[in-house]
Amino acid sequence: MKDYIKGMRTGVPVIFGFIPVAIAYAVMARQAGIGAFETVLMSAAVFAGASQMMAVEMLSQGAAAVTIIVAAFILNLRHLIMSTCVINRIKKEKLWIKLLAVFGVTDESFAIFTTQKKENSNAAFFLGLITVTYSSWVGGTVIGVIASGLLPEIVSASLGVALYAMFIAILVPGIRDNMRLIMLVIFTALLNMGLSSFMDSSWALIAATLIGAFAGTFFVDMEKMAEMEETCLEASKDAVSTLEKVKTGDRSNG
Amino acid sequence: MDKQILVVILGMAVVTYIPRALPALFIDKMELGPRVEKFLRLIPYTAMAALIFPGILSTDSSEPVIGLAGGLAAVLLAYRRLPVMVCVIGAIAVDMLIYMII
Repeated sequence: MKDYIKGMRTGVPVIFGFIPVAIAYAVMARQAGIGAFETVLMSAAVFAGASQMMAVEMLSQGAAAVTIIVAAFILNLRHLIMSTCVINRIKKEKLWIKLLAVFGVTDESFAIFTTQKKENSNAAFFLGLITVTYSSWVGGTVIGVIASGLLPEIVSASLGVALYAMFIAILVPGIRDNMRLIMLVIFTALLNMGLSSFMDSSWALIAATLIGAFAGTFFVDMEKMAEMEETCLEASKDAVSTLEKVKTGDRSNG
Repeated sequence: MDKQILVVILGMAVVTYIPRALPALFIDKMELGPRVEKFLRLIPYTAMAALIFPGILSTDSSEPVIGLAGGLAAVLLAYRRLPVMVCVIGAIAVDMLIYMII
């Protein structure tokens, strides 16, 4: 319980980050003609800001359900790595606790949790953290749904840029000191523009993402990638070497 | 339209939970090759690049400058490692200013 509350406290700064983005998402969704209930339901069931905003954007452009779902899947593949890092820190927990905890894996909860000291490296802390992030995401969506009818037109028109600003804010700090990663990002953006001139823009997005990442495996210097990820990788390497030691120990004993 | 949205929500709920849940189920059995791991780590960067451009140009269907100006504000703020919220609010503020002028 103490760890749970500690986790909740650590999550407080995220509230101020999530609520404006959730409001922007809700206003965009309402403008795209999505019902109030569906707007909140999506936040509660999906809990992935970037994918939700992308889905709203694609829905307003008349994209088919299947392309939206495929795009959401690809955009969220990154959670595979993040969830691995989170699970590495709580792997002794019961399976149902782990399955509950991973629902709360987001860019933010991952970044906070995997950079915590060892004493905070437990499931109760993580559950406390995601209780706060999840409630502020869903709560912010409700606020946005209520506010969407009241906002002056100039504000709601300006909210259209929120999605892109959020992507930029996540992307830029991670690439600013890595020239090859910047080149990859520019290459992918231009590739996407080229592809969307002759194919549906939602498929172009998926194709550009996959081709870009594949191309990047040939020339991007991974050692220079974000510090946050290095911390995480070290954590998993430690875990692997401990496991190996345990295994060899078992063998020599047996 | 309503039914389609429920299908989208249900589908998204499933496909966004799968990558989160797999490590919980198979953490011991999962061994990604270095190439695959590199590929997965690059996906967020390329996905965001493709999401931003050229979509940002159509933030306002008639004025590409709205998206460009807001985006540029976000880049400058993000380059200084300011929090996501500051970048988002900064971009929105710049666009509000431009709407007031034009």
